Amino acid sequence: MANGAQATSPRGYSIIFGVIMIAYGLIIRSGALTGLLKALHTHKDADLQMTLCFVLGGIGIVVGLFNLLREPRDTIVDNYILKSAPGVLFLLLLAMVIRWYLEPIVDIWSKAAAPTLGFNFAKIFNLNYVVLGIIVGIVMTNTIGIPSFAAQGVKTARFVLKMGVITLGARYSLAELANLGQVSIWMIGFFVIGTVLVVLWLGKLLNTPHSMTGVLSAGMGVCGVSATVACAPVVKAKSHEMAYTIGTILLWGVGCMFLFPTIGKIIGMNPTQFGAWAGTGILNSAQVAAAALAFNAVDIKTLKVAEIFNITRVLFLPIVVLVLAYWFSKVSDEGAGRKLSIKEVLIDKFPLFVLGFILMFILSSTGVFGPPEHYKGKYLDFSYNQRSELTPEELEVLGAFLANPEGLKKLTDPELATLKDLHKQRQLAGKYSERNDKKAFHAKGKERMVAIQSILAAKKIKDKKVTHALKHSIKQVHKKSKTVVVLTDLMIWFFAYGLIGLGMQITRQAVMQAGGMPLVIGAVSGTLKAVLSLIVVLLLIKDLV
Amino acid sequence: MEEEKAQPTPARDHANMEERALSVFASERNEDITAMVLTFLSALIVLVFTKWI
Repeated sequence: MANGAQATSPRGYSIIFGVIMIAYGLIIRSGALTGLLKALHTHKDADLQMTLCFVLGGIGIVVGLFNLLREPRDTIVDNYILKSAPGVLFLLLLAMVIRWYLEPIVDIWSKAAAPTLGFNFAKIFNLNYVVLGIIVGIVMTNTIGIPSFAAQGVKTARFVLKMGVITLGARYSLAELANLGQVSIWMIGFFVIGTVLVVLWLGKLLNTPHSMTGVLSAGMGVCGVSATVACAPVVKAKSHEMAYTIGTILLWGVGCMFLFPTIGKIIGMNPTQFGAWAGTGILNSAQVAAAALAFNAVDIKTLKVAEIFNITRVLFLPIVVLVLAYWFSKVSDEGAGRKLSIKEVLIDKFPLFVLGFILMFILSSTGVFGPPEHYKGKYLDFSYNQRSELTPEELEVLGAFLANPEGLKKLTDPELATLKDLHKQRQLAGKYSERNDKKAFHAKGKERMVAIQSILAAKKIKDKKVTHALKHSIKQVHKKSKTVVVLTDLMIWFFAYGLIGLGMQITRQAVMQAGGMPLVIGAVSGTLKAVLSLIVVLLLIKDLV
Repeated sequence: MEEEKAQPTPARDHANMEERALSVFASERNEDITAMVLTFLSALIVLVFTKWI
């Protein structure tokens, strides 16, 4: 179908897509789809959907008219914008359908099937816009083929994906890494870099392409899908290699998710040990959480520890990107029979967009986008603020509960002290006397929050009104940086767009050609990591992290 | 032309796919620089509207 790309003029298609988008925007505006959007839980995005459709549709019509009224020339505007416009609009339209319809529908189906299946398949198989985008691209290219008018626009996919990777840097911060425990940092650092090196070594041993080995090492070493997406352009991975890696990681993770809790119980691991092991050995975040909850659904400790280890692993992503960029520029030229100096590798051959990612990470760590200690835009704020306070009704309920000694019997002394302070200060906060020492104030606030979470997890309080007030107090100190939230949304659009385009480059033949070697490497390195991390956890981690 | 005709279909399809994978940019350096400039420009606009205004 793409063979006709040169023969068929794509001129009118921009107008068609522009009209479709504006028509959709008008339907949203009329309110005809409000019920459907509410059912899909996307009604809060209605304004955004309308605005995006009007703006992009308007651009599509203007570009289309320009294309029709003017003969194409060999200018930058023609080559980069006018010729690509129909394909770009087509990919955007698909991205909209995936984000606003397909992803919520899969989520609803998954939740509905959860009681029967015993697990949420969308979460376990990570069926979010990333995977769905690739799947839609693959299905399209292997069934109806890429429409000829879209051929030029599809070529912008890698470029937009790089924009997504650069934006990804805004979600992490160095301060978050410093907040974590020493043991988790050293242990995770060892396993992340160790796994990357083992996969690279296995790839060399089994003679798989450098790009395949590179992308698989990032996926197996860090955290699966986002690491794969971030590192794919660094090692110039082909689309099918990326899809192969994501498939290997997700399948491996599903196996681990069921095996880990069983092994943990047979060995008799304590909650902390299991949390550390799951956070190190399982790749996908949702799968880590599912395994932690399967091991211990009552005590929140397992899940907390697993999350800490998981976060630490993700924060190693910038380091892995640098390591792979260095490794790839070295091996790709060595393969061509030339040995490069370190200067050549770091300055001349280094992928520039990786510098963009690192620069974004540094900006995020300095606190430009949100408080420096944020992680994915989320942070804890214990400072005194009227908006963080409990409502007068909640304070009354809590006061009445504290006045009755019968209900307090199950609470430990620190838990009781926390509740008394919550009532006194009207909000979850640090020690009033330490309010000028920000670090101590924050640490105390965090300690009190954990105490309340433990009370809730262990169901020590039966009164629903009190538990509601406690949950509210925790919710009030969880803040989000608006800038990072918007940047994340932007990143999601870049990724959705880029991955549909890359999915369109994955044919059956390409996947068959890759053979079963990536699966072998993934299984060997994954098993090695799981076994070694189990031994280290049992030896090093007793209870405290 | 003769050679192209002689190519088996899967190989030709694969070549088409490789062609599609090519970027619209003349070089990878141009692609990276454009991606960086556009992303930081977007970040600046987001900062202006979410933090500074």
